[in-house]
Amino acid sequence: MTLSLSAKNIVKRYGGVIALSDGNLEINSGEVVALIGANGSGKSTMSKVINGVVVLDGGQLTLDGSPVHFASPQAAKNMGISTVFQELSLIPQMTVADNIWLTREPLGLMGMVSRKAVRAKTDELLALFAGTFKTDLHPDVVVSELPPDEKQIVEILKAVSFNPRLLILDEATASLDNRQVQRLFDLVGVWKEEGKAIVFISHRMEEIFRVADRYSVLRNGKTVGAGHIKDITENDLIKLMIDKDSVFNYSRAGVNISEKPVCLEVRDIYSTNLHGVSFDVREGELVGIGGLQGQGQRNLLHSLYGDISFTGTVTFNQKPVHFKHPRQAMKSGFALVPGDRAGEGLLYIRPILENFQLPSWGRYGFPLKIGNAKKDAEQMGTRLNLVMASLLDPVSSLSGGNAQKVVIGKWLMRQPSVLLLDDPTKGVDVGTKAEFYALLTKLCDEGKTILFYSSDDEELVGLCDRVMVMHDGKLQTELVGEALTKENLISASLGVAHGGAP
Amino acid sequence: MKRFTLSPPVAALLLAVVLFLLSGLLPNGYGSDVQVAISQATNILRLSVFLGVIAAGQTLVIISGFEGIDLSAGAVVTLTAILTYVIVSGANEKVLLALLVSLVVGAIIGFFNGAGITYLKISPFVMTLSMAGVVTGAIIVIHHGNVQGKIAPIMTRLIARPVSPGIPIPNALIIWLIFGVLMWLLLERTTYGKHLFAIGVNRVTSKLSGVNVNGMNLATYALASALAGFGGFLLVGNTGVVLIQLGQPFLFPSIAAVAVGGTLLSGGKGSYWGTMAGAIVLTLITSLLTTMQMPDSVRRMVLGATLLVLISIYGRQRALRQ
Amino acid sequence: MKRITWSGLMSRYPAFFALILLTFAVIVNFILQPNMFAEDTLNSNMRVFLPIILLTVGQAIVILGGGIDISVGAIVSIVNAILATRVGLEGSSGAMWQYVAVCLAIGALAGAINGYFVAYLRLQPIITTYATSFLYAGIALFILPNPGGGIPAIIANLYRNTTPLGLPAAFFVIAIILGLWFFIRSTRFGNYLYAVGGKAQAAYETAVPVTWVQFSTYVISGLMAALSGIAITMLSGSGNAEIGAAMTLNSITAVVIGGTALSGGVGGVAGPVMGAITLGIFQNIVSFAQINTWWETLVKALIIVAALATPGIINLFRRRT
Repeated sequence: MTLSLSAKNIVKRYGGVIALSDGNLEINSGEVVALIGANGSGKSTMSKVINGVVVLDGGQLTLDGSPVHFASPQAAKNMGISTVFQELSLIPQMTVADNIWLTREPLGLMGMVSRKAVRAKTDELLALFAGTFKTDLHPDVVVSELPPDEKQIVEILKAVSFNPRLLILDEATASLDNRQVQRLFDLVGVWKEEGKAIVFISHRMEEIFRVADRYSVLRNGKTVGAGHIKDITENDLIKLMIDKDSVFNYSRAGVNISEKPVCLEVRDIYSTNLHGVSFDVREGELVGIGGLQGQGQRNLLHSLYGDISFTGTVTFNQKPVHFKHPRQAMKSGFALVPGDRAGEGLLYIRPILENFQLPSWGRYGFPLKIGNAKKDAEQMGTRLNLVMASLLDPVSSLSGGNAQKVVIGKWLMRQPSVLLLDDPTKGVDVGTKAEFYALLTKLCDEGKTILFYSSDDEELVGLCDRVMVMHDGKLQTELVGEALTKENLISASLGVAHGGAP
Repeated sequence: MKRFTLSPPVAALLLAVVLFLLSGLLPNGYGSDVQVAISQATNILRLSVFLGVIAAGQTLVIISGFEGIDLSAGAVVTLTAILTYVIVSGANEKVLLALLVSLVVGAIIGFFNGAGITYLKISPFVMTLSMAGVVTGAIIVIHHGNVQGKIAPIMTRLIARPVSPGIPIPNALIIWLIFGVLMWLLLERTTYGKHLFAIGVNRVTSKLSGVNVNGMNLATYALASALAGFGGFLLVGNTGVVLIQLGQPFLFPSIAAVAVGGTLLSGGKGSYWGTMAGAIVLTLITSLLTTMQMPDSVRRMVLGATLLVLISIYGRQRALRQ
Repeated sequence: MKRITWSGLMSRYPAFFALILLTFAVIVNFILQPNMFAEDTLNSNMRVFLPIILLTVGQAIVILGGGIDISVGAIVSIVNAILATRVGLEGSSGAMWQYVAVCLAIGALAGAINGYFVAYLRLQPIITTYATSFLYAGIALFILPNPGGGIPAIIANLYRNTTPLGLPAAFFVIAIILGLWFFIRSTRFGNYLYAVGGKAQAAYETAVPVTWVQFSTYVISGLMAALSGIAITMLSGSGNAEIGAAMTLNSITAVVIGGTALSGGVGGVAGPVMGAITLGIFQNIVSFAQINTWWETLVKALIIVAALATPGIINLFRRRT
């Protein structure tokens, strides 16, 4: 059962994007190692290196003293390495039992899967989390019908069912409630005793200090620190995660927003994952939206933008608006920078020019005055310091930060009055981040209104006039002025009411 | 250091030239007779026009992505050819009416294709294939075994004949060039064209950028079938007679022509110039096989194998393991 | 308290819609043809339906695994061409069974070629099997350029008139096939099939042999197409290299009305079998309704479109309300 695994100087690229440039990790039986880092620092990639899902571009994996090379996830599984994937590896159309025991179904008569045995074995596993389910979770439920937390538990049980020597928990607690997290940690304690090694990936500091023995910090694809958790404080850990260069000097403290008119009134928005959201935003205000990931932030922005249907009222510049299609929102001066750059923001194989102009072609007449379109795009490129060889190169040739500039630039070309930003600095390098911050503050000074969701708490605190914290589809707390500190933001995110907050 | 690359339309055109030169070496090829070679080349170009026009709509739906394809094109060609034949009935003044009817009937069929694909979520392949069945059924009803009609002299003059006895360039070729320029304008110099490429690459991005994705999809299938309708009109102007299977032989080559021209079968990238070059290549292959007195069966095998090779080169999907 | 929703019903019993449609079709057919349950009529109907049922079973398995096979009709044609030319009208029964084995091997090989390109080279299934369908149709036409040839009348009659226990032989074939399917369904391979069709990436991460599973669905489909070709040759007794051309779309339509989603991973084989029978009965109804011959193709095509459109229309309606 004992195991010792080390990963040294791991390099992994996806296309042109470097996800890991120097990843290191060491883990032995009977310990929990927390893999820590900001969004896009390479945590998930690191776990996919260890479990054989991706092919290494460099570095060395050593298992039990000898170098290994996993040809497939199967190979890693055979060596006793099992993973709880952040994006769940469940087949939605299959039942809980079938999902958990896929590839290891107990066989009965003539090689047929013994349904009875599968069910019994599943019941045994489900018992580990008994009492924490909100639905009647039994082995024959189809996974797609489960709520997110129970899907997550099925994913955990699936990984555990392999009886692995090494268990990787990649953001396994993100959608669990407190009781379920507690149960998981109790189980982790048991597994440790049994001699399992556990890699624990989480954003929540409190959990890391509760469950981990050691830590390993990743920053921009490099391992920048490792040690025993008892030898470090939360603050020092956070400092390791954050780039020292990213000093915030864009404080908008001097701006008096309260004199400006309210331009956006949102009342009682209900939609998927939104359970009644109301707020006002003033002209020229930079309002942050915080909270843990997946608390309805994305849906709020997409609802306002007409991409998701919702009930409730929205008043924009004293006129009621209820957009049914992004096109209407766009024409009224709204813009959305979506969270998934590749999947929602860009046309990867098309030229930079076309990405810039996608919402704006209508302005260039018939036949399109390509010369003018190029000139305008060129200007926007210059304004945003876009590093590119030619406007006619595909966006796929750009780095992450530059590609994100194209997404933002595409909307700035239309001079929108309301900007909805969904985690725009995710996976963006430090230099570009600083440019974004400067750009956003400048836009607000020009009178644009910005709603800004970020998974980076520091960014919200440093940049915004006010931060609304979302929890479970509702606005939990609003932090403004003195109360807008990182500590308050984190405690509000975790759903703990803060005394000082209004 | 820039890697030397050949754009697919140019590569296809080069392939056509090489194939043509090789065809001269065949026992019954043109040999060393330049005059014959030129007239053969002209003839192949003239024949390419019909495949080229029919493949125009195919190019649009394939660029629109999400397994976009139009398998009803062959049947639409036959239908509008028959309609033209019947409507014109030898009268020059009815030609414009016939052209209009061809375009409208095509557009209506394409609209139904688009509606089924967009709103009923039927896969384009299945939707257009079953539509081909419906149109074929309609053709049988209209044709009734022996349809009465005739094309007009002006159609023969403008489609089948050369510009003038002194200038042996076929009129059809000139029509095709103008058509090609219009297609280029449509794809590269209109909002429609830009949005078409956009929905072919990523429909979520397109929607969030204000593109009316459903509308684009409907319009594209309608336009594609209208273009197939135009193809039928041209084709009957050339053949002068109608058959119940007139358009069908053009269907598979129309898809292959798009692929040869370098348009991504997964959508979002391509050009009509490429399709034109592809149409020439495929017409050439077909006529080569005919020159070699190969039966229809061998022609099918060669076409099937050609497309298989092309998608092996261009059509790889993302690997499971990165 | 449990709410019964349409989607819940459909996901649990995907063949539900097919069953309703089949019942409806049988009732209408019964009204037009009161003797439809007589031994002779039943047998003459079922032997006509069997080839498309066999084809549909293979198609359903490919579609369950997340693919599609456009080349099945062309494989049917190859088999028909081989039997009609190699065995011949005057041939012996021995030669027939020999070539039946050859045809099964050829079907599996054709399927393996599809599977190689789709699963190992990772090409798009639709366009790839469309290309091979042209290749295979060419081969069929090469073997048998003009309709003609055939198989010994004894064999054809064996197929047409065997009615063990007074039931059409087709019933037993269907029973065996469904039995085999339910067996496969409950083996590990069955689980893999649903996993691969449902979410190939997740299946891969769980160490399911995705490529191998995809490959084998095409081989199965090729085999079923060969069986279908053998059946249709025995039914017609003669050769025609275009015989399978129209069957591909019918097999896909049967799968769709059988409640097996084209996106893969949902449904089964029993539903598509019902779908295939339903389609067959619809065609019967068309001929009994004494529709003018000229209109028959159109009406049949419209029925297929309607069948394909129905699930989508129900969905649209559900979203509105």
